[in-house]
Amino acid sequence: METYRIFDSELEKLSQKVIQMCSQVNQQINDSLTALKDNDLKLAKKVVENDKEINTLDVKIDRLCQKIFALQQPVARDLRYILSALKINNDLERVGDHAVNIAKRIAPLEDYRQLVTDLGVDQVSAEISSLFSDVLDLVKTHDLEYCQKIYHHSATVKEGCRAIAERILNEMMEKSEVVIVASNILIIVNLIERIASYSNNIAESITFVVDGEIVKHRKNIQ
Amino acid sequence: MAHEKIQTENMFLHYGSKLALNDISIQIPEKKVTAFIGPSGCGKSTFLRSLNRMNDLIDGVKIEGKILIDGINIYDNNIDVVTLRKKVGMVFQKSNPFAKSIYENVAYGPRINGVKDKKQLDEIIETALQNAAIWTEVKDRLGDSAMGLSGGQQQRLCIARTLAVNPEIVLMDEPASALDPLSTSKIEELIVQLKEKYTIVIVTHNMQQAARISDLTAFFYLGELIEFDKTKKIFTNPEKKQTEDYITGRFG
Repeated sequence: METYRIFDSELEKLSQKVIQMCSQVNQQINDSLTALKDNDLKLAKKVVENDKEINTLDVKIDRLCQKIFALQQPVARDLRYILSALKINNDLERVGDHAVNIAKRIAPLEDYRQLVTDLGVDQVSAEISSLFSDVLDLVKTHDLEYCQKIYHHSATVKEGCRAIAERILNEMMEKSEVVIVASNILIIVNLIERIASYSNNIAESITFVVDGEIVKHRKNIQ
Repeated sequence: MAHEKIQTENMFLHYGSKLALNDISIQIPEKKVTAFIGPSGCGKSTFLRSLNRMNDLIDGVKIEGKILIDGINIYDNNIDVVTLRKKVGMVFQKSNPFAKSIYENVAYGPRINGVKDKKQLDEIIETALQNAAIWTEVKDRLGDSAMGLSGGQQQRLCIARTLAVNPEIVLMDEPASALDPLSTSKIEELIVQLKEKYTIVIVTHNMQQAARISDLTAFFYLGELIEFDKTKKIFTNPEKKQTEDYITGRFG
């Protein structure tokens, strides 16, 4: 016999906000990477401005979780969901910041578009976009099938980023005139790598909600 | 794993033709707090009362299976129920002090058990009142009527009365459900202290109370023991969907 819980409407509200947060962050990543690819400074500026909305949503989610903890004393899956919502929210906020940091580094690269492409940044950009769209689907559906895809994809992105970093260092050693611009590219690549790590965290948090299993720090995730 | 103080094996209980407890097998460890939770009518209080044969007083009750305390079946013919209830004390939902002085309330049990020496009795009473965390509040008015105490104090006095006969197990049937939050928190604190010396089994409708004070939690539903595990596990990641639905308030 199912009963109506006042609690359910609060949980639904929280769930909608987390999905909204994830969807907005996903948009920020896509815009930021598109701006990088197309040298679109206007779009880059929009990304920087939109961060405010994400920060507002971040605080709203924190407050809602706080309210549910204080007033509903959640247990079991409800508890795991709210704990994870807090962590996922935190991770998403950081990813949003990274999208902004990428956007802020596009202007100095204006005259070096070819170098960006030659180093293979476009490819990891496309991969991280596709990876994060899986994260969004996972957050929407809680279907753990996405997790393995995310872990796998994230490993590929990280590998790609490290290879680029190596190429950048070689480039810097050979041509001292590109040092400043290459440092900017290096930072962007590091940010992309960080986004891949946060994607893993989010997949781990959703696994905890569904299974109650803490899978973070486990080596050899297949 | 701690010593199994109470153990039941395939226990069934009928009220007349109605099956109230269906095949209960459980092992309750010594010197831990074990909480029974479940919706009204699930059998948790009936089960609690079986553990010191309080159900013997109800007509038409039939019990099958084994209930062992320290390995001895308490429903064996040679068991003396009075001795059993001395070993397995009970505290009820509604505090029920005798209309006597505070001192006499606690002295009642030891006197029945033959303690006559005044000095010895005084010692037993002081220890019991201290263990029940009420000594400092009543030590200067032991001769006053117990009826003048507040609800929370009366309940702690009843706990002292139970402890005065030196039990090994204390059964509690919703001991704090009629108390205000402050008295409730005193009783809860007391229960956690008591497990150093006693095995505590508590029935509670307050799930947060079970979560706060118990080491193990048993969930009963429709006369069956659905799940029994560490409290931490039950309240974070229970195995059974019925348990999850109950503790999260989805039914019941």
